[in-house]
Amino acid sequence: MKLFDFNSSNKKNTYSWLWLLLLTVVSTYIDVLFGFFTEQKSLFILVVLFIVFLKGQQIIDIFMELKHAPTLWRRLLLAYVVLLPIIIGFIYLL
Amino acid sequence: MNNAIAAKIPAEITLEHSTTDVTVSKRLPGDLAMWFFILAELTVFAILFIGFAVAEQLNIDMFNEGKAQLHQISGLINTLTLITSSFFVALALTKMHQGFGKQAAQLLVIAKLIACIYIGVKVWEYLSLFEQGIDIETNTFFTLYFMITFFHLMHVLLGMVILVFVTLKAAKNEYNDSNISGFESGASYWHMVDLLWIILFPLIYII
Repeated sequence: MKLFDFNSSNKKNTYSWLWLLLLTVVSTYIDVLFGFFTEQKSLFILVVLFIVFLKGQQIIDIFMELKHAPTLWRRLLLAYVVLLPIIIGFIYLL
Repeated sequence: MNNAIAAKIPAEITLEHSTTDVTVSKRLPGDLAMWFFILAELTVFAILFIGFAVAEQLNIDMFNEGKAQLHQISGLINTLTLITSSFFVALALTKMHQGFGKQAAQLLVIAKLIACIYIGVKVWEYLSLFEQGIDIETNTFFTLYFMITFFHLMHVLLGMVILVFVTLKAAKNEYNDSNISGFESGASYWHMVDLLWIILFPLIYII
């Protein structure tokens, strides 16, 4: 039995993992990749916080397997990665 | 021909019913108590993150100087290692669902080895700051930096201890489809540690 087989669950996990790695690298070097972010600090913060939400959603739905969990629990966890970046965004931008 | 079509119809209806049944049966992975614990942990970290953001707005220059002294690459490496470690834990859970305890245990060992890179990098980061004469009392930025990152490190260590117990049980094939919530709880805790870091990293190192 192989340690890794590319079944449907593992496919989802693998695509999610690669997406998370890509988002991490993009959010770290976003100002280098897209020069205009160095001048647009507010836009830079908003994009980085939006990437936090995208990454959080992947971890919650795919890794934590909450996509098919009771709606309340999924929403509670998703609310965390929606509300916290919004609150932090308000603090930085207001 | 008509008979053949008529024979197909009930099969399709049954298929639709069974598909609906699968969709309707929503299940929370792991123990309910673990999810309440996870919510409590997330709340504590949310307060710390908001506190950090507010403190930054009150001391913008100090925080900018502090962030410039941090090693952003080490933060990036730690993010990549935690995400990869979480990925291997997710693979291990899939293996356990298939009933392959030994392979699940092996995947968990890989996950923990990758997490060791995180610990090594974090310790190196602390030591290099200490060498520069920076510690928890240097200023507000470093007080919060050390407090939040060390608190997170403690959660990583606790997560590793939990995964050790899960690994030992998985290796002995003590989990099965009707008794897998212990494995799922351990995995969920580990993913929570990852979830916290993906907020902590941009907040302290990037923004």
